[in-house]
Amino acid sequence: MKVSFFETVRYCAPEALPHDWPVASGAYDREAGARAYEAMIERLRYVEAIGFDWVSVSEHHYSPRILTPSPILSAAFLAAHLKKITIALLGPIVPHSNPVRVAEELAMLDTMAGGRLVVGLLRGTSNEALTYDLNPEEARERTDEGMELILKAWTEPQPFGWQGHYFQYRTVSIWPRPLQQPHPPTFALGTSRESCEFAARHRLGCGVSYGPYEIMAKATRYYRERCAHYGWEPAPEQIVYRANMIVAGTDEEAHTLLRQQPDRAPFVMRSGVANALMTLDARNIAGEARAPIRAGALPTTFIGSPDTVVEQVRRAREVIGAGVIDISLHPPGSRDLDPLLRALDLFATKVLPRIRDV
Amino acid sequence: MADVVFSEGLVEADGFRIRYREGGAGAPVVYLHGAGGPRPNPAHDLLARRYRVIALEMPGFGESPENTRTQSIGELASTIARAVKNLGVDTFSLIGRSFGGTTALWLALQAPERVLALVLEAPGAFRPDGARMPSNHPLVVRLRGPARDPELQRRLRGLATPTLVLFGTRDDVIAPSMGRIYKELLPNGHLVFVYDAGHGISTDRPEAYTEVVVDFLERHEAFVISRERTVIHP
Repeated sequence: MKVSFFETVRYCAPEALPHDWPVASGAYDREAGARAYEAMIERLRYVEAIGFDWVSVSEHHYSPRILTPSPILSAAFLAAHLKKITIALLGPIVPHSNPVRVAEELAMLDTMAGGRLVVGLLRGTSNEALTYDLNPEEARERTDEGMELILKAWTEPQPFGWQGHYFQYRTVSIWPRPLQQPHPPTFALGTSRESCEFAARHRLGCGVSYGPYEIMAKATRYYRERCAHYGWEPAPEQIVYRANMIVAGTDEEAHTLLRQQPDRAPFVMRSGVANALMTLDARNIAGEARAPIRAGALPTTFIGSPDTVVEQVRRAREVIGAGVIDISLHPPGSRDLDPLLRALDLFATKVLPRIRDV
Repeated sequence: MADVVFSEGLVEADGFRIRYREGGAGAPVVYLHGAGGPRPNPAHDLLARRYRVIALEMPGFGESPENTRTQSIGELASTIARAVKNLGVDTFSLIGRSFGGTTALWLALQAPERVLALVLEAPGAFRPDGARMPSNHPLVVRLRGPARDPELQRRLRGLATPTLVLFGTRDDVIAPSMGRIYKELLPNGHLVFVYDAGHGISTDRPEAYTEVVVDFLERHEAFVISRERTVIHP
């Protein structure tokens, strides 16, 4: 099992923040922001030293919960400060990006990072449609086409044009190309039928997140079926499972920590907007409709003492088929960093050595 | 598209004979002018393609006789509310420009059940400290209130009406930064800057203005969700 540390920057707000998403940017404290990015590098040097394989970053906007609106910029910053660890950029929100620009920047980053880049491409959470005025009804199709164009830009050796549904270019010929060939290990992220199908068709990895093992397994099972349809079998490390983890000395202690956490997401859209958005934002797990995540906190599926967590990681491997776990230790956005550091120590000494052979 | 024909009429309210222009069909949208009085406005024609636009001449402005009776902006707002009622319109969307924006705010506070949505175009309810306002119209000077009215600030925190606040980025009458005050106070307020427009947004950039106003009047807070089709080649 490979392990990845999901880095969210851990902005510690000096004062209480509003609860609406988008969070008013006037509430941002620039000194707290500067401290957060500085502390991130210190933390990740430790994460690298104790043996994590990857550090991952994601793209989220307009709130301090995950302070990486530009994941490519974040990844470049990490790559410059960390020398060994793989940088997992999970990932640019494709439908509101210029795919050619994404292909160029990722190729540049892979080269500058000495081929340490892993890429996840995705559609993005529902609220992110509002970030750059993306029509949510077009998000799925723009994602599929954008992902395909990124792959094409990485791999096509001759200048080409692209006459898509949503993107049109008369001339594409990127420099540099990625250091890793034909391109960095790439995942289509998400549980949807379309995402799994895309990953299978293009021989990409599949990434699922947060849900219970059995539910996530529906997606990965479908992914593997589609891979078989296209005549190949994914390696275990082509399935990534991102999940929250609370590891403590005992099971009781871990569950006490969980109970202390809010049961709602820290920043939520106003209900009028959220209701309107949800009617347009169809989501599914391997074809079965699922409700978009709204205001509830994301589930914590790795929780307990080191022994319990080791067993849960085994279960995740057995049930989901995941060969990489991308863990969010202590909830992202938490203002309290001591429990995170204690959890890191505990994970490094009591869990990590025992899940390597899972 | 053929131009909408506007007609003029008079309606009585509180002893005033109030002139109005009306055009278009559909849900009613009431428009309140600024301190300079009613002016030709291309945005009215554009709005009237979707709505029944009723542009009122507030008593004391335009061609109406001097108004020495109205003593507060709240009184003016209630006279306007009665005039609209006397036109047979119970619920409506309300747009107010500059001084008319302040009037519209008070009307919405007095009769929130009648105002379905509110659009404030470069509203004058809050002004920078020491700002010199161009209008010395006695009625405006008497009614426009202090640069910051604590009572208004307090009451706006409880106004649930979906409200769109527009400021032009080149407004040199009321600083566009005033927009953030409305955003902070109004629980269902939205702030949009119209690029390259001055104080008269609807006359400077009528198409851009109408697009966002129509979208807001139709969808209220859901107007933040893009519906733009970006397919190039089906």
